[in-house]
Amino acid sequence: MDLKEKLISSFLAFENSTATDTNIHQIRSESFQLFEQHGFPSKKEEDWKYTSIREVLKPDYRIFSSTESDINLNEVKKYFIHEIDTYKLIFVNGIYNSLLSTTTHDGVDICVMSSAFTKPKYKMVVDFYFNKIINKNQHFANLNTSFATEGAFINIPKNVVVSKPIEIIYFNTGTDAELMLQPRNLVVVGENSHVQIMERHQSLKENTVLTNAVTEIFAHKRAIVDFYKIQNDLDTASLIDNTFVSQQKESIVSVNTFSFGGKFIRNNLEFYQEDERITSNLNGFSIIGKEQLAANYTLVHHKQPNCESHELYKGIYADQSTGVFNGKIIVDRDAQKTNAFQQNNSMLIDDNASINSKPQLEIFADDVRCSHGCTIGQLDDKAIFYLRSRGIPEKEAKALMLYAFGNDVLEKIKIPELKTRITKIIAMKLKVDLSLEL
Amino acid sequence: MNKYTEDDLKKELETKEYAYGFYTDIEADKFLAGLNEDVVRAISKKKNEPEWMTDWRLEAYRIWEKMEEPEWANVKYTKPKFNEISYYSAPKQKPKLDSLDEVDPELLETFKKLGISLDEQKRLSNVAVDIVMDSVSVATTFKKTLGEKGIIFCPISEAIQEHPELVKKYLGSVVPKTDNFYAALNSAVFSDGSFCYIPKGVKCPMELSTYFRINEGGTGQFERTLVIADAGSYVSYLEGCTAPQRDENQLHAAVVELIALDDAEIKYSTVQNWYPGDKEGKGGVFNFVTKRGLCETNAKISWTQVETGSAITWKYPSCILKGDNSVGEFYSIAVTNHHQQADTGTKMIHIGKNTKSTIISKGISAGKSQNSYRGLVRIGSKAENARNFSQCDSLLMGNNCGAHTFPYIEVKNKSAQIEHEATTSKIGEDQVFYCNQRGIPTEKAIALIVNGFSKDVLNKLPMEFAVEAQKLLEISLEGSVG
Amino acid sequence: MLSIKNLHAGLENKEILRGIDLEIKAGEIHAIMGPNGSGKSTLSSVIAGNETYEVTQGEILFENESIMGFSPEERAHKGVFLSFQYPIEIPGVTVTNFIKTAINETRKSKGLEDMPAKDLLKLIREKAALLEIDRNFLSRSLNEGFSGGEKKRNEIFQMAMLEPKLAILDETDSGLDIDALKIVANGVNKLKNENNAVLVITHYQRLLDYIVPDFVHVLHNGKIVKSGGKELAFELEEKGYDWLK
Repeated sequence: MDLKEKLISSFLAFENSTATDTNIHQIRSESFQLFEQHGFPSKKEEDWKYTSIREVLKPDYRIFSSTESDINLNEVKKYFIHEIDTYKLIFVNGIYNSLLSTTTHDGVDICVMSSAFTKPKYKMVVDFYFNKIINKNQHFANLNTSFATEGAFINIPKNVVVSKPIEIIYFNTGTDAELMLQPRNLVVVGENSHVQIMERHQSLKENTVLTNAVTEIFAHKRAIVDFYKIQNDLDTASLIDNTFVSQQKESIVSVNTFSFGGKFIRNNLEFYQEDERITSNLNGFSIIGKEQLAANYTLVHHKQPNCESHELYKGIYADQSTGVFNGKIIVDRDAQKTNAFQQNNSMLIDDNASINSKPQLEIFADDVRCSHGCTIGQLDDKAIFYLRSRGIPEKEAKALMLYAFGNDVLEKIKIPELKTRITKIIAMKLKVDLSLEL
Repeated sequence: MNKYTEDDLKKELETKEYAYGFYTDIEADKFLAGLNEDVVRAISKKKNEPEWMTDWRLEAYRIWEKMEEPEWANVKYTKPKFNEISYYSAPKQKPKLDSLDEVDPELLETFKKLGISLDEQKRLSNVAVDIVMDSVSVATTFKKTLGEKGIIFCPISEAIQEHPELVKKYLGSVVPKTDNFYAALNSAVFSDGSFCYIPKGVKCPMELSTYFRINEGGTGQFERTLVIADAGSYVSYLEGCTAPQRDENQLHAAVVELIALDDAEIKYSTVQNWYPGDKEGKGGVFNFVTKRGLCETNAKISWTQVETGSAITWKYPSCILKGDNSVGEFYSIAVTNHHQQADTGTKMIHIGKNTKSTIISKGISAGKSQNSYRGLVRIGSKAENARNFSQCDSLLMGNNCGAHTFPYIEVKNKSAQIEHEATTSKIGEDQVFYCNQRGIPTEKAIALIVNGFSKDVLNKLPMEFAVEAQKLLEISLEGSVG
Repeated sequence: MLSIKNLHAGLENKEILRGIDLEIKAGEIHAIMGPNGSGKSTLSSVIAGNETYEVTQGEILFENESIMGFSPEERAHKGVFLSFQYPIEIPGVTVTNFIKTAINETRKSKGLEDMPAKDLLKLIREKAALLEIDRNFLSRSLNEGFSGGEKKRNEIFQMAMLEPKLAILDETDSGLDIDALKIVANGVNKLKNENNAVLVITHYQRLLDYIVPDFVHVLHNGKIVKSGGKELAFELEEKGYDWLK
């Protein structure tokens, strides 16, 4: 039975197990219909040309984890930003783990989707926001909606600066040999409020796992949202991340994606600017090797005048790895005075690595400033020589240069402890000890 | 697109303006509309082609029949009805002429209107002209001068008869029959076109040029051009198109193949001004062209194009940089106004070591037009030290048009260096005021600014063309401001 | 030549000029001085016909004819020249090509044929020499990558080529070192005769050492608050603008 068929039969069973008289049920059914109709994307589709998912779909995934399993805090502590106090939403094999989590309902709601779906006090929020900004052409997002049951639910009312960052971590313990996870996050940030969120998907054992995640972010007037995606999973894990951002007047939303680990990473990140004077920031830094693939597909849709978007993606590709960048900027006719910038810089450091870059502009307004740039290059031999002549060994010299290459993306991180953590991951990835300089 | 009736046509003919819009009433020898194997055979027979050529066409037809019309380009149009097109049209009296005096006076009149009067050109401009009137070449000049150097410049139909070994070897070698829908169609039914061979080490002493136009109502035109520059040779080839005003959409699906052998260089320049349709978007030529060049070691191919015409343009002059140290260049200006749609760009396929490519694309959109740049830069795994620089700039005039950029960059070699830049801007009010203050009216100011914007590309054109191209830019954008 | 009567003008409902009266006769050099924000540049833009500014009251007569309804290019054709404080860059358009277009359009408006290329080149060479401009400069893109001094020199070069009746020099001294200032001033003085007039707009007295005005007007808050001879400029230099408020 192929995955699609399996999903169809699972959906029928899943549907029977849930209440059928709710709006949510309706949305799930509609989404599933879409998925059933279109199936998984084929390589013939322009947006999937560079990221073949054939291999990813092959395993015989379980659609729901078979058992609830417990994990030991000491075992997973290293995945937390434990140097600082944070809210934590921890999920194990798709199921919420209250022991490891730190939630709150004190002025803000930082809790889980399963309760948002069922508790009457959240009904209005869920009805108003859930699945409202999903791009219906994203096959995987529709699939996620069909099975959406659990994930992070973050609802920040007006005028609140959330006192500490929020960590969302999805663990996979390996109790199922081949597991598919479909977490679903909803983030609503009220007028003038500010929140910082970190998201991570982490396997603890080398079992095959496919995560198909969806996050919806709504930023109201003058809200500020900083979202960090730390993608450093094991080589057995694949991730398809779908994130949709809807922004209101003068809001500033930044999504920063760091891709280091995982067999197959595909990020679909879409920004919709619904009012004036909005700023959208999209940053990414990937360092991958072996046979990894990391693909960043981004869309910024400028619909209203006087908005900005800044996009900076950098990547370093070693061994036989493949990088993909596909950035699309659409400027509607009404979106006069738009400033849209997009930059993609890549470095190939081994013979069999490859990169496909497709920076696109679609412009329908005349009074705009839009530009994109794309470079592909390699380390500057002269600079390496210079460093070596000052006594820095070749490996360290190269690592230093590579780190410097990505530094302007790292500078975007506003949580110092997170920056330190990511720097460490980079050092590990580059197999050097960079602690002295960095 | 709306249904178009004969009354509309009448009205249109009364009101339409088109700088080069006229219709030559020459009796044409024309096939009935429609396409099948018999038609392909008939075309081949009509031209007294050898059997190998007939078979080649039939094979292409069979491939085409199984293909589907592509839809990926960023253009919207009513697909041509391939069964309503007549696939062969030639002036009925097929004159073999020794001098211009023998040419049909009406035909000469046509050329004069286009400003390419042959006698003038022959005497004054040192340009050899191979004119394609509809589909069959009727006059060739300077043949003798070229002949002395061993250069072959003739209609491709003649080359099939006289130089079968060259045609057999190279036809379809760069654009195979299977390449794409329109290339397959062209391979099956191509009527005529130019053939050019520059022998080893020869620098062609003059610019070779061909003027194409569509003449007969309802005739699709399928030129086939083959240029072979043998080792160490050089040729500059100019192609200019102006089409008579037309009342229904016309299909134009040409194929151009360039072969630059070791150390050879080909410069191929185009000014394209087919009828773009009227202000409401009615009529106009569909220009679906496949142009590609192959570079062997140390060879260079340079494409320069100024695209102002056609209702729909779908065109990607490309370079396959097969040989080490080979160089590909693409310089383009694409202007769209009213309801025109253009999806144009290039492909630079780097296969050899130390290969270099440069892409400069300037898109200007006005009116309700849509202008897209689509380009591919591919660096293969063996292409050590490949270099590419791309610059795509768009200029928007007015708020009802669109400018789009779709670059594809695929790199499989770590030593590659790629730089791609794109910008989108508009003409600044302060720029226009500055010009006004110096006494330059707005319309003229815009033309000046547009010319400045396009300069990097205009500079790459041979002199004769640069002037014409500047004029065309101006004409194309008339009435787009206000 | 130029007669401005009770001119009120502004930007987006904000009044900047609040009743300007100014009379300039052929053969005269006038200077308008004033602190930042007094409306100096607005005045020059309005005379040149910049449509960004809205004229709410008053009149501008040029050679006894109201030019209020005239487009910027029509005013230019009549002989109004504005040397911009910030000359605009036009990429890809050479200085030569630009000036050729300007001259021929002006000629066209007078029913004249285009200037023959030979004459044009001769004129360009002559005027370029006057302003010590070298050949390479003429084939560069208009104002693109020009230094401050080059931009201003280019403005005066265009003025020399177009031979206007009224030249308005808007902050022509800003961004100029002393040598460049002398060259520019020298150019202006050589072009000056009894049939044309110059209006110098400046913040500092410095330029007026080289282009000596017959009249000096002080602009403050959108009005001319004081007029006098050239000595007024020295007074302003010494005392600043505060004593006039």
